[in-house]
Amino acid sequence: MFILYIFILAIIFAIISILMKKGSWEIAMVESLILMVFTSIYGLVRFSTYTGGMISTSSFAIDKSIGITFSTGMDGLSIALLFLTTVIMFAAIYTARNEKFDRRFFGLMMFTEVGLYGLLISRNFLFFYVFWEAIIIPVFLLIAIFGDSRKEKASLKFFVYTQIGSVFLLLSILTLFSYYGPSHNNVFTLNMSALLNPSFITKDITDKVPFWTYFALFGFFFAFLVKMPSFPLHSWLPDAYTSAPYPVTIVLSGAISLMGGYGFFAVLMPIASVIGAGIAWTIIGLGIFSLIYFALTAMFQTNTKKMMSYASAASMGFISISFGDGLLSSGQVSYTAFAGGIYQILAHGLIMGLVFASLYLIKQKAGTDSNLSVSGLWRDMPYISAFFLAGIMASLGLPGLAGFISEASIVLSSYYVLGAIIFLVIFGMIITASYHIWVVQKTLNGPFNENLGKIKDAKASEIALLSFLFIIILLLGVYPNLFFGPILNFVKGVI
Amino acid sequence: MLNYAWFIFLTPIIFAPISVIAGKKRKILAGVLASLSITVSLILSVIVWLSIRGTSTPIYQTFNWFDNINAGIYVDHLAVVMVLMVSFVSLMIHLFAMYYMKDDPRKNTYFGETALFTGGMLGLILASNLLEFFLFWELVGLCSYLLVGFWFFKPNAASAAKKAFIVTRVGDLLFIIGLAVLYSLLTVHNVASPLSIPYLINNAPAIASEIGAQNLTIIGLLFLGGAAGKSAQFPLHVWIPDAMEGPTTVSALIHAATMVTAGIYLIARVLPLYANATPLAGEAVLYIGAFTALFAGTIGIVVNDLKRILAYSTISQIGYMMAALGMVTTFGESVIGYSIYHLVVHAVFKALLFMTAGVILLTLMELRDVKKMGGLWKRMPITISLMFIGSITLAAIPPTAAFFSKDTIIDVAYNYFIMNGSNIYSILPWVFLVVGALMTALYTFRMFFLVALGKPRSKLAEEAKDPPKIVLIPLMILAFMSLTLGLIQYRFYDFIVPNTTRVVVPMIIEYTPLTVVAIGVLITIGIYGTTKWQRMHLEKNPVYRLLKAKYFLDTLFTRVIAERVILPLSSGVSRLEKGFSISIEGAGSGAMGFGGILRKIENGVVEYYFVFLIAGVAILMLLLEILGGI
Repeated sequence: MFILYIFILAIIFAIISILMKKGSWEIAMVESLILMVFTSIYGLVRFSTYTGGMISTSSFAIDKSIGITFSTGMDGLSIALLFLTTVIMFAAIYTARNEKFDRRFFGLMMFTEVGLYGLLISRNFLFFYVFWEAIIIPVFLLIAIFGDSRKEKASLKFFVYTQIGSVFLLLSILTLFSYYGPSHNNVFTLNMSALLNPSFITKDITDKVPFWTYFALFGFFFAFLVKMPSFPLHSWLPDAYTSAPYPVTIVLSGAISLMGGYGFFAVLMPIASVIGAGIAWTIIGLGIFSLIYFALTAMFQTNTKKMMSYASAASMGFISISFGDGLLSSGQVSYTAFAGGIYQILAHGLIMGLVFASLYLIKQKAGTDSNLSVSGLWRDMPYISAFFLAGIMASLGLPGLAGFISEASIVLSSYYVLGAIIFLVIFGMIITASYHIWVVQKTLNGPFNENLGKIKDAKASEIALLSFLFIIILLLGVYPNLFFGPILNFVKGVI
Repeated sequence: MLNYAWFIFLTPIIFAPISVIAGKKRKILAGVLASLSITVSLILSVIVWLSIRGTSTPIYQTFNWFDNINAGIYVDHLAVVMVLMVSFVSLMIHLFAMYYMKDDPRKNTYFGETALFTGGMLGLILASNLLEFFLFWELVGLCSYLLVGFWFFKPNAASAAKKAFIVTRVGDLLFIIGLAVLYSLLTVHNVASPLSIPYLINNAPAIASEIGAQNLTIIGLLFLGGAAGKSAQFPLHVWIPDAMEGPTTVSALIHAATMVTAGIYLIARVLPLYANATPLAGEAVLYIGAFTALFAGTIGIVVNDLKRILAYSTISQIGYMMAALGMVTTFGESVIGYSIYHLVVHAVFKALLFMTAGVILLTLMELRDVKKMGGLWKRMPITISLMFIGSITLAAIPPTAAFFSKDTIIDVAYNYFIMNGSNIYSILPWVFLVVGALMTALYTFRMFFLVALGKPRSKLAEEAKDPPKIVLIPLMILAFMSLTLGLIQYRFYDFIVPNTTRVVVPMIIEYTPLTVVAIGVLITIGIYGTTKWQRMHLEKNPVYRLLKAKYFLDTLFTRVIAERVILPLSSGVSRLEKGFSISIEGAGSGAMGFGGILRKIENGVVEYYFVFLIAGVAILMLLLEILGGI
């Protein structure tokens, strides 16, 4: 129940934020801090003894006759992503201390957080869909109102893409729903655990996998791959990421990007046994192709923000790979693969938060985020440079930081499925390392570009946030069991 | 409770941030704190050594890290020798660095990074799980990257750091594929903790029969790839000479004594896996090592940069250690002793040589060209005498320690030839190693004569003088050890592997390396002991040009692979991506008549949005009603 109270609190906070005329930043910052602290305390208390399955469930019947309930619940997957959401929202709001951002901005940010919170705790497909959709509005508006000169095109592209994805999501939900009732004595339900039951989905008179199953699977995959994003459904990402103001980019890369992965592991993993090898290999193929394609594209960007946007998309490729690996293997190998994929969502979000937060400071102090016109930043801004370097290192999967745990789990378990194809993954990782290191050499090292004039290092309050993010990333890299344990138990309970 | 051995590597890691912060105000504190933490490590290492000296039971303590991966410490005789060596050499270099870096404004950062490095290196040695090992493996790689680029404002240093990182990264990723093969295959066989080092080395025959010797060979080759990247073996050695752009103490610590030997330690650590794989795994290690020993030596004789000569000699010497390990299928675990003994001796005299080079460069203001030096023996007698001790050790002239350690490896290679069919194929390692010894003598004394003898060939060299004697104490200790470590040769072997096979070869073979070295010394005296070399014009000589161009390997990697393959690929893909994005927009506006409709949506997009959302929910409700009512 406690988690439901936090959710209600989040709604109240969002309303307060949009109503209060003065001190919007302070209010929103405190609100997101409270949500983060409460969620973390809840997670620590309830998940220290977690052994799998669903906990903290609650359910309010809205229409009993047709089975609509507002049911909520938590598991190892959603607590990890909920923690990520609250941390990223706090970080994004904290960095947005700028007169340009008014109460509309912070209200929309808080509504985004509400949407994500709702999505992660919902156990009913109706609400899953409603929150899935509800996240799009504030994010769209944030880009459309506060973006840079290309904001119209970028926000529209974001909107159209995700909207098409949502249509497919809706169709899939409807398909499952409409086939469930007739085969279950006309008891209708939108409960996720009931609909996502492999024995129901494969049930057919002829004992074959029926056609509508494929239709539903296609819809789910399409919706999640758009959100992920995976090649070739990614065209909205570079525009949206670069056009959005930095705090919104942090939200997009850290929190919004979790939706696709969450869909994979919350919706598709329970019905893993239905998904055939052909689909699994397609997903792996898309993952590997995305990894290499985005990495090669990133390498050629002269704008660091755009480069890191592609880097973010590239590391999402690992999630697809891990998901396909998990589908094609069994036992401990598949646990490692799935758990690695989930951990990757968490790690990627936090790391992108740190990368974009430090890049935002570079942009503010040096005046540009082009990597051709800045150099030698170490000299005048050692602190920001150090954190940017830490983010870059985390992003390329340096051990000791969170990203390594997930990449190691994914790579270690993937040989079983991929065999020699693993060299393609490694090729992608080498390209990734190359351009990450190149951007450091170009911007932080070398002689200082005197044309930038006098630049100052970060203030203590700015360093505090960067240290906070870095410490979480370090903690999750050194002591991964904090989240890896619950995630693994969750995976074992579902498979 | 944590065993105190944990603090061998934890202490420097904990002290690293402390010395950065504490050293911010009072710069001297940074070096003191870093050195203190390493002293603690050294003392703890000695205590651990005393406690496990008499037993064969290792200290082993482990916790669940994540998933089915454990992490902890595993201290056996091999590990304790390595921690003693690393903490001792690192302490000597830290003490010297307090003098060498005394004027650097960022020396607190420097000492923080070197302390972190030392902690990482000690952690790597003590790791009880290969993934944990990999964590420290990358941590020391990161420190190497940071320290090579420590003078970040020098474009050369920045680009050398980048090169070091990317080249070793290639090796690291081969290593992790090896881990992936091992992990996947063992997990399928329900092994509880598949990457645990004690499990792997104690059950190697069982593992071989379970996953097949063929797979074990693949794993061995991939591990060799990782080791070649870290330990700068052919063809991944290209980063070390460039890495000399960092401070000289960094070169001494990381690129001579400790980190570059991590690859040797990796292979020695999991040697039972190689022993149970097909012979190909061991042979690959042997031939790569022996070939590198010769190959790097040949480049070393034409290089003019003082530090780079030492860098090539490091590559070459590590080749000897690698070659020794490669003979595992013939000699069993005894080879660990041969290899690690040379590793320890090499660490001592190479640290000494680099630090003497550091003293010279400090007084010559970073002038590194040996052709501009000369006559320094008269001007800085103590330093050059120390360098002389280092040089004769490097060239393996008796009675220095390397004479015992290196010639044993060469003799073992001869026995390998005898025991493996005495054919043209199995004699190659011995030939490579013997010719390598000649190269060693050539480049060592070429360097030494150019530096020490003759007349000064630059203004800076004329004014060179010795630093205060007190800062040379660490160097003197290392020089003393270079001369005396040979005394413990057999006790060392037996400590690491009980009952190590004694190497016996015919008299003529035993004296071959020494003869070759003597020839080398005579040649260099003939050319560089006089002024003859100044009249030699080799620029047109094709062999000289090939060596000068480092066999065109650097050109292949940067000019061909990076610039002609990867970069155009990247440019092509990003152009494709741009076109893709534009065509999507075009298709979108074409299909939907975007001109008009889109602008309308744009104007009232939120309203439209709610229509979509509500329509969706409405359809859902409608279906519920209809179907529910059936």
